[in-house]
Amino acid sequence: MKRNLWASGLAALFAFFFMLPLIGAVYTSFRTDNAIASGPFVWEFDSKFTHYKNAMGAAGYDFASFFQNSILISIGTVILTTLISLPAAYSIVRLGFGGAWLLRIALSLRILPAVFFIIPFYKLFTNLSIVDSVRGLILANTFVNITLALLIFSSTIKDLPYEIEEAAHVDGAGVFRTLTSIVFPLMGPGLAAVGVLTFIFSWSDYLFAVVLSSSNATPVTVGAANFVTSYGVRWGDISAAVTLSVLPPLIFATLAQKYLVKGLSSGAIKG
Amino acid sequence: MIRQRKDRVSAFVLAAPLLLFLSVLVVWPIYLGIKTALSRDLLSEFEITPAGLDNFRTVIAAPDFWSALRFTIIFAVVVTIVEGLLGFGLALIFDRKFPGKRTLFSMVLIPIMIAPSLMAVMYRLILNENIGVIPGVLQKFGWEFSIFDQRYVFFTLVTLDAIQYTSFAFLLVYAALQNIPQEIYESAAIDGARYRQVIWRITLPILKPALAIIAMLRLIDSFRTFDTIYILTGGGPGISTQTIGIYIYKTAFITGDFGLASAASVTLVLLLAPLMPKIIKQFRLDIK
Repeated sequence: MKRNLWASGLAALFAFFFMLPLIGAVYTSFRTDNAIASGPFVWEFDSKFTHYKNAMGAAGYDFASFFQNSILISIGTVILTTLISLPAAYSIVRLGFGGAWLLRIALSLRILPAVFFIIPFYKLFTNLSIVDSVRGLILANTFVNITLALLIFSSTIKDLPYEIEEAAHVDGAGVFRTLTSIVFPLMGPGLAAVGVLTFIFSWSDYLFAVVLSSSNATPVTVGAANFVTSYGVRWGDISAAVTLSVLPPLIFATLAQKYLVKGLSSGAIKG
Repeated sequence: MIRQRKDRVSAFVLAAPLLLFLSVLVVWPIYLGIKTALSRDLLSEFEITPAGLDNFRTVIAAPDFWSALRFTIIFAVVVTIVEGLLGFGLALIFDRKFPGKRTLFSMVLIPIMIAPSLMAVMYRLILNENIGVIPGVLQKFGWEFSIFDQRYVFFTLVTLDAIQYTSFAFLLVYAALQNIPQEIYESAAIDGARYRQVIWRITLPILKPALAIIAMLRLIDSFRTFDTIYILTGGGPGISTQTIGIYIYKTAFITGDFGLASAASVTLVLLLAPLMPKIIKQFRLDIK
């Protein structure tokens, strides 16, 4: 074991660089304004957590509502993506619907540059009056995540033993019954993988949010970026806001790390 | 037979939400995109009029479009190579046993969980000339650093992209490495193969198909780079770091020319179209 310490060291070096931006934000968020203004290495602990209080609303920013929007958008996207792609994956894999071409179409979506869709979505959503609404952003993010979900669900269903479904069939259970009471309970790992990845990627969306939201539905990604341009000198408040914004997917994904790893490698794809 | 007919109906019913979703959010938008590309459609004018191929002529003659495309391709290729090599190296490290492996594995995955735009805000914080930690350290060595400095901007953006995305490459290579049966290594060890020989003669050849897919994914994704560069440089200095995504976004929502921006999107898709069947084939989508 001892001679592999160099491997620990190298891995730690990578980890340090990967976490450096986050470390920087957390560090700044706990320093007083005075210390921040005096230089990057002046340490003075802000025992009143002023920046966090400001970020949460004390200074009149809308940050709390951005946060709420992000949560609603991400959870809504996870639910809608699952509802659309799980039955479809079952239909494709087990009932032979559409064959591989449906998956192929879904995969071409993955390859098409998302930027192609910003103008059509803007026009379509304006017509449907869902611009700047949480509903609209849920639809846009479902679009982003549907390919990954289809691929993960299809490969999970493929790996289930078909005999159980056949037995249910013989016992007279219809397709829907088989799906809801036999297949669905066995889908745990697939659901967890789709859930955690869809949550991360919809939380991370910036492109669609910047085009399709203006104030009511603004999520933290756009909110934080605007924060920098509008309050460019209030670095303490910005760091606190960013630290808080990073936390939900970070906690969720760390708890579900096993499924994150599995989902990403089985779908071999990122939204 | 009756059972089968019923199954076909249920197959359709189960896939119906997906088909509906794809028609409304994919097929219809593609039509809208092409239609807009063929129209004079300005934010400043109320009326939208047919314009034939005017927008396409303007795009093809626009130096900004081509320089954005060029920058996007160069950036995508460079970051794919850098992140592929770093990710591969990191995966080789994690393929061994070492103290603290589990904790370090979780830490190394953190960038995957952080939104690129939030990462960009944190980059601005640590790179800020007055309060940033990085310029602070560099100053101790007598270096003046600015992210907007023309000389370093490309290098900086590649480094920042690598901080965000090396984890993806790492994770996929690492997963592929786990699929190599241990016996192969054992028999190589019995035959007295050196570590370097094992990597070159065994690991790399086995991983080749997986590495091709991973590289392709990184290439596709880096081709879409928007958030980080937009928040960090806005495409500047000048238009030197303007990606194709930033060009299209700015043309539509800042200049206000939807027609021109759509023509640029359509042109981009047409340029990528010949590659698509090849890429899709690489995934070996089987439903069996």
